[in-house]
Amino acid sequence: MLVCLAFSNQFTTPIYLEVPKNWPKPHYDFSKNPLTEEGFQLGRNLFYDPIISRDNTISCASCHLQQTGFTHVDHDLSHGIEGRIGTRNSLALVNLAWSKDFMWDGGVNNLEMQPINPITNPLEMDEKLEHVVAKLQRSEKYKALFTSAFGDEKVTSQRLLKALAQFTVMLKSSNSKYDKVMRKEAVFTKEEQNGYELFKANCASCHTEPLFSSDKFENNGLKPDAVLKDGGRIKITKNNKDSLRFKVPTLRNIELTYPYMHDGSIKNLAMVLFHYTEDIYQSPTLSKQLVKKMELNEQEKGNLLLFLRTLTDEEFIRNPRFQYPR
Amino acid sequence: MIKNGIVVALLFLACFKSNSQIKTDSLSLTFKVKFNQLPAAFGKPFITSNKDTIVLETFRCYISNIEIQYADQSVFKQNNSYHLLDLENPNSLVIPITTKSDKVIRKVTFNIGIDSITNTSGALSGDLDPVKGMYWAWQSGYINMKMEGKSSSCKTRKNEFQFHIGGYLQPYYAMRKMEFLYDKKTTQLNIAIDLNDFFTNIKLSETNSIMIPGKQAMQLANYSTQMFHLE
Repeated sequence: MLVCLAFSNQFTTPIYLEVPKNWPKPHYDFSKNPLTEEGFQLGRNLFYDPIISRDNTISCASCHLQQTGFTHVDHDLSHGIEGRIGTRNSLALVNLAWSKDFMWDGGVNNLEMQPINPITNPLEMDEKLEHVVAKLQRSEKYKALFTSAFGDEKVTSQRLLKALAQFTVMLKSSNSKYDKVMRKEAVFTKEEQNGYELFKANCASCHTEPLFSSDKFENNGLKPDAVLKDGGRIKITKNNKDSLRFKVPTLRNIELTYPYMHDGSIKNLAMVLFHYTEDIYQSPTLSKQLVKKMELNEQEKGNLLLFLRTLTDEEFIRNPRFQYPR
Repeated sequence: MIKNGIVVALLFLACFKSNSQIKTDSLSLTFKVKFNQLPAAFGKPFITSNKDTIVLETFRCYISNIEIQYADQSVFKQNNSYHLLDLENPNSLVIPITTKSDKVIRKVTFNIGIDSITNTSGALSGDLDPVKGMYWAWQSGYINMKMEGKSSSCKTRKNEFQFHIGGYLQPYYAMRKMEFLYDKKTTQLNIAIDLNDFFTNIKLSETNSIMIPGKQAMQLANYSTQMFHLE
């Protein structure tokens, strides 16, 4: 075992996720999956490869596109193989190192285990993990990639999942205008500044800076979809207090990641603000912050939207290291 | 070069030693899956105490954290002690534990299922590899015990019953600790798993498909402990 480690260390290049100044400590345990350039590149290839779906048509990137902040725009619900349609809006993959759990209901407890969900979900990739392992084991390309990452060509689900996590954990967005303003490298316009103040007063208790998510579960007053009947977090905890609660999504790159909400029911940001000010659905688990009506006039809404646009990180959505591997 | 040679030689020796241990010198824990005291088998109909006729198709179960306490107060704790018992694979039912000794064994303990820390530890290998079909995708976590089969009592599709028992989040933490007093010397510990002692507790016409963590899984986990008997 030690000999293997010594060998693999000789041929791999360690890489690190740099934690931005004033950000919290990442939740992901890097000690159990030390990042290497080779592991990252293997994960990147896997992320963009439809080989992991049953009919080899859909990859992770099918629903998580870099240009749109690693989510799927224009579709309210995620799509799977053979035109199948899922039950929730795909989440943006960003700053995952800081997430404690994953999916809208938090059902997945570790970033490494997340891919099992879309791979095996009949409405998504409808594949079996052991088939993916077998397909990769037959591929000359992956024999080479697994060898460079792990020292030998053996494909296991553990290696596959750790490599995918090495790629997705590196998807860090921390260079938006907001970040530059915080680092005093840029300044907000007057309207953006006003929007930021409104944001702190009305939104930040759940969309907590700097990740723009508390990583908790909340009922944000969205009327439940009559067809989907999705109770959210309660499905995992079986606790009535969690009925209609969903993971608070990050607002980073929010301008790009439409439509919004777990069911994709709100098409644009102006409608999101309408929802929070005028259209809250009352239910016993409604977040306490939303019980009192949120008051924003049209000018304030405009300023808030301008602030939200400062969360767009052009460097992140164009970072060549995250692109389709060539 | 010489150094490498020595390492390789040592590795060879280590392999040799552990192999021989498994074959001859080790104390092992052997599980015997039964139905009403007769060996359980797939495809063969059994009648439960509740008069349900069942045909078993799957029996898999995790056994973890095996510990032997000796009369002299010493304790053996197995490292990385996670074992998947699978009735389909007889080798999996014999778990080599430690070297034989003539010490009196006071107590044997193990868990049915997987502890919560392991459940949140990310991608694992060996018996804990999620390709073993004992891992839930939509809600992370290991299935501690899987029993599937058919019974005419089940008014379900193809008369199937399916019990996937697990869950690691409180209050539905379904792992169960087992403890057996022994007070003897031995070279082989035999534990019977009598499925009838599980099915005695349920009416298959009413309870036939539990595949999520929760209250019912906790109840089934309690029933599952009744199957284990030290022989």
